[in-house]
Amino acid sequence: MWRGLWTLAARAARGPCRPCVRQSSGAGAPGSGATIFALSSGQGRCGIAVIRTSGPASGHALRSLTAPRELPRARSASLRLLTDPRSGEPLDRALVLWFPGPHSFTGEDCAEFHVHGGPAVVSGVLQALGRVPGLRPAEAGEFTRRAFAHGKLSLTEVEGLADLIHAETEAQRRQALRQLDGELGQLCRGWAETLTKALAHVEAYIDFGEDDNLEEGVLEQADSQVRELAVALDTHLRDARRGQRLRSGAHVVVTGPPNAGKSSLVNLLSRKPVSIVSPEPGTTRDVLETPVDLAGFPALLSDTAGLREGQGPVEQEGVRRARESCDFLDTVVTPAIARSPNGNGQRLLLVLNKSDLLPPGGPDLSPELPPHLLLSCLTGAGLDGLLEALRKELAAVCGNPSTGPPLLTRARHQHHLQACLDALGSYRHAPDVALAAEALRVARGHLARLHGGGGTEEVLDIIFRDFCVGK
Amino acid sequence: MFSLRGCGRWVAASLAKQHVPPPARLSGDSASAAPGTPRYDVVVVGGGHAGTEAAAAAARCGSRTLLLTHRVDTIGQMSCNPSFGGIGKGHLMREVDALDGLCSRICDQSGIHYKVLNRRKGPAVWGLRAQIDRKLYKQNMQKEILNTPLLTVQEGAVEDLILTEPEPEHTGKCRVSGVVLVDGSKVYADSVILTAGTFLRGMIVIGLEMHPAGRLGDQPSIGLAQTLEKLGFVVGRLKTGTPPRIAKDSINFSILNKQTPDNPSIPFSFINETVWIKPEDQLPCYLTHTNPRVDEIILENLHLNSHIKETTKGPRYCPSIESKVLRFPNRLHQVWLEPEGIDSDLIYPQGLSVTLPAELQEKMITCIRGLEKAKMIQPGYGVQYDYLDPRQITPSLETHLVQRLFFAGQINGTTGYEEAAAQGVIAGINASLRVRRKPPFVVSRTEGYIGVLIDDLTTHGTNEPYRMFTSRAEFRLSLRPDNADSRLTFRGCKEAGCVSQQRYERASWMKSSLEEGISMLKSIEFSSSKWKKLIPEASISMGKVVSIRALDVLKYEEVDLELLAKAVPGPLKKYTQCRELAERLKIEATYETVLFHQQQEIKDIQRDEALQLPKDLDYLTLRDVSLSQEVREKLHFSRPQTIGAASRIPGVTPAALVNLLRFVKTIQQRQAAMNELPKTGQCDTDRLEKRQL
Repeated sequence: MWRGLWTLAARAARGPCRPCVRQSSGAGAPGSGATIFALSSGQGRCGIAVIRTSGPASGHALRSLTAPRELPRARSASLRLLTDPRSGEPLDRALVLWFPGPHSFTGEDCAEFHVHGGPAVVSGVLQALGRVPGLRPAEAGEFTRRAFAHGKLSLTEVEGLADLIHAETEAQRRQALRQLDGELGQLCRGWAETLTKALAHVEAYIDFGEDDNLEEGVLEQADSQVRELAVALDTHLRDARRGQRLRSGAHVVVTGPPNAGKSSLVNLLSRKPVSIVSPEPGTTRDVLETPVDLAGFPALLSDTAGLREGQGPVEQEGVRRARESCDFLDTVVTPAIARSPNGNGQRLLLVLNKSDLLPPGGPDLSPELPPHLLLSCLTGAGLDGLLEALRKELAAVCGNPSTGPPLLTRARHQHHLQACLDALGSYRHAPDVALAAEALRVARGHLARLHGGGGTEEVLDIIFRDFCVGK
Repeated sequence: MFSLRGCGRWVAASLAKQHVPPPARLSGDSASAAPGTPRYDVVVVGGGHAGTEAAAAAARCGSRTLLLTHRVDTIGQMSCNPSFGGIGKGHLMREVDALDGLCSRICDQSGIHYKVLNRRKGPAVWGLRAQIDRKLYKQNMQKEILNTPLLTVQEGAVEDLILTEPEPEHTGKCRVSGVVLVDGSKVYADSVILTAGTFLRGMIVIGLEMHPAGRLGDQPSIGLAQTLEKLGFVVGRLKTGTPPRIAKDSINFSILNKQTPDNPSIPFSFINETVWIKPEDQLPCYLTHTNPRVDEIILENLHLNSHIKETTKGPRYCPSIESKVLRFPNRLHQVWLEPEGIDSDLIYPQGLSVTLPAELQEKMITCIRGLEKAKMIQPGYGVQYDYLDPRQITPSLETHLVQRLFFAGQINGTTGYEEAAAQGVIAGINASLRVRRKPPFVVSRTEGYIGVLIDDLTTHGTNEPYRMFTSRAEFRLSLRPDNADSRLTFRGCKEAGCVSQQRYERASWMKSSLEEGISMLKSIEFSSSKWKKLIPEASISMGKVVSIRALDVLKYEEVDLELLAKAVPGPLKKYTQCRELAERLKIEATYETVLFHQQQEIKDIQRDEALQLPKDLDYLTLRDVSLSQEVREKLHFSRPQTIGAASRIPGVTPAALVNLLRFVKTIQQRQAAMNELPKTGQCDTDRLEKRQL
């Protein structure tokens, strides 16, 4: 495993033939430095987003995402279909640029992807890049430092960039702080603590195992800690639903009895006539999906056929599909009195439509109704309340987009957690303790990029706290 | 109070004949720069492990060097444990040797029990170690020092520094130009290296008694400590200790665990194939343990133990039996019984460092198994001493405050012979380079444990005696004992000129043989089934259709080059001729794939280290830079020389680093401008270079 991993990394870093590169740069020979990538346009919603890579594997990254095409002509824009190299799933049709070093922003081989600025696309491309061997997310200010190291920045440019990077790192710092408070932050901290402890014990075994008397079973203890950690990380990474939701938006399904006004609600929420509306029950016969921006969240809104025994085979199939789509939805909006469509614990917003038909004296509804919202698609009364309720639901599902750049964070998280998990795998297969410790160090390095820390002193503190060593 | 035996007892001086004859011998004159006042390129103060290495390194680099020591007969004295090397420390010794330092070669001539630790844990963490005969080591070291060309040795206690106006092109408030001895006489020098060890206001503690001393029986340096404090150096205090010594014939070894040396012995030095003594003539070590009775004696008598009560910082690790008992009660602690010499009557109980009153020490010893009738010859004692916050020195070990003044060894807050020797070599080389107006020789943390040691000290400082561990090195798999020569010997030769021809040739041969061998191993490819047939002993995984390189086969734990060469004798036989080469090829194969990855990271770090910061930045008053006060203070104190070093100071943010980049630019522009100007200081350099001819 260990060997396989690094061979893979090595091969990737060596990359394909790159005729434009200076010979002196060693064309990806060991020691050319890592290849970094980052979103370099501003975060948030924008028309076009620019993602940059810099380093010897840039050419390889470019070819991986535009496979099987050759590298585009240097320094000229070409239109390419970007696909995820692993799944083959198309990501975006984008402008790509190829800047072979030294004639590039950083002086190294650089690639630029000008993609459509939607969060789903940006996040998809960042994740795809993170999976290209040899690539890692850039640290704050790293592009600038590389550019500087290659003599690419003048004094004034450096001064200008310093302020920019200050702002950027400030944002990242705030983001990191927020994360540290969050659930994921706590998870990361816990993992990092376990890992640091395991590493400290392995390090103690190396540095003091022979001269001093460590207790029995130091290594075995570390082994079992690493095993548990690997399981936890693996489970977390497999739970990709959170990530999935942001890429395509949360799934919101409108369902309910026929003629309750589901299609009217969909049209109201998407602000365009998506579904045909008629007073006749059973107008909608298939699942109609439309991407919308709901209260600032990307969401996929589905209109469904009314849940009743259909009159004809087409409507029956529509109902079947409607029930099926309820199986993988995130939020159900039912514009009528409804039982929960299935018992899977999905979030359910009960919306009672046609409130304009209620007598003005006050709703005369049966008291055993669950919590609900009143809405009139006709007059728009109650829409604000619904939007606010949806916002809360989606925030719970997707995380709050106003609290930082979740896309970037997600790509980083996935990259480093996966890399951490891979390294833990190589720990178990390492032929000697020095190599095993190295695997733990690599794993810890990846966690440290997410939550900070990671110094040697921390390890030494644990060694000297847990063991009586030295003389 | 001071023994004035320093008055001009000249010992040694095997001066190369092409050399400027030494000036008139010391005559006690005190007039400044009076004709006849001795003058050297480099003066080294102190003859311990840092001092000897520093003096020899400066002389190897071609500088006329004077070693000043309290007593010539204590040169090369091992004041504490009778051993060299270990895990991490052995790595340092290999690096000292790669720069042609002394201690490894001397240990190959003086050891009495050679053993490589961590044999089963991977070659990156092998710890070369040996019990050393104190007497032999001292003898051999003195012989070496007294026969080093360009190196003069003189007895004398240094009381003060001679200071002059600073050189305008360097930072620092003044420049050192020599030293004043206790008798008032002066020695002028272009660079001065202080290796005062534990002698700066040294105090020896046994029980409640305290005596001023640097080492048992030796006077401390008080005047020098005051001078340094007056100059504005930040001084701290540390403590260390040494165990009692026990009469060998009073120990019952027959009931104890015996540890035998390795066979064959692995030498410390790259230029030695073997050590001086056969494995069967070497002495064993023995292992015993403490017991609850020892704990009792220590705990009952804490009130009689001022060393332990004092607030002076000791290390987090447990150097003394008292701290072991206090921090990890109810445990049995190891005590290694180590021979002090081939014909010595003394045994050194490693792990029993103690500062109880002497009679209680003996009482404690006699409750230990095997030591029931032991006779204590010398009590253990504690030493408290001044050290200078090492953030006040640059990675070339020159002080920020005083130009051409270098510190090396325990004075910088380290502990251990090997740590001292490593700094000594670097200080010696740099003092010499400074005199010759050449750029400093700095070892990066990506290049060696020496770099890790010095970078840790100069960027983080230390508040406990700093000891080397392999866990401190980020690039442990690259910085191995086996490849120290390829990391440092060529640089040492090219940049410092501190490496002998013989060593250089040996390292070159090894380098080219390794490269040749590796490409040969890469070129031999067979299918897995053929390998399986050729080497049935190896558990080569079958089923892979792809062919496997010989290098990959060598990665298997059970395969060594010998076995491989039996299978493919034609191209590989010749690589088995040299044991070291065969072993190194095996090691290179073991780590090949991981090292490829590590090289990338190393490159990233080296990139940041190439970005030099101006030395004269006043971080506290810099305007138009958005640096927080906290960051400013940290930068001001540590004075990082590169962006890389700055990035390792805790609390320095990425934004602060980018802010610092503009100053890198300034220095680059300044250097460009300098290169266009006609060379200044030309005549001075000429003069110096002539002298070395």
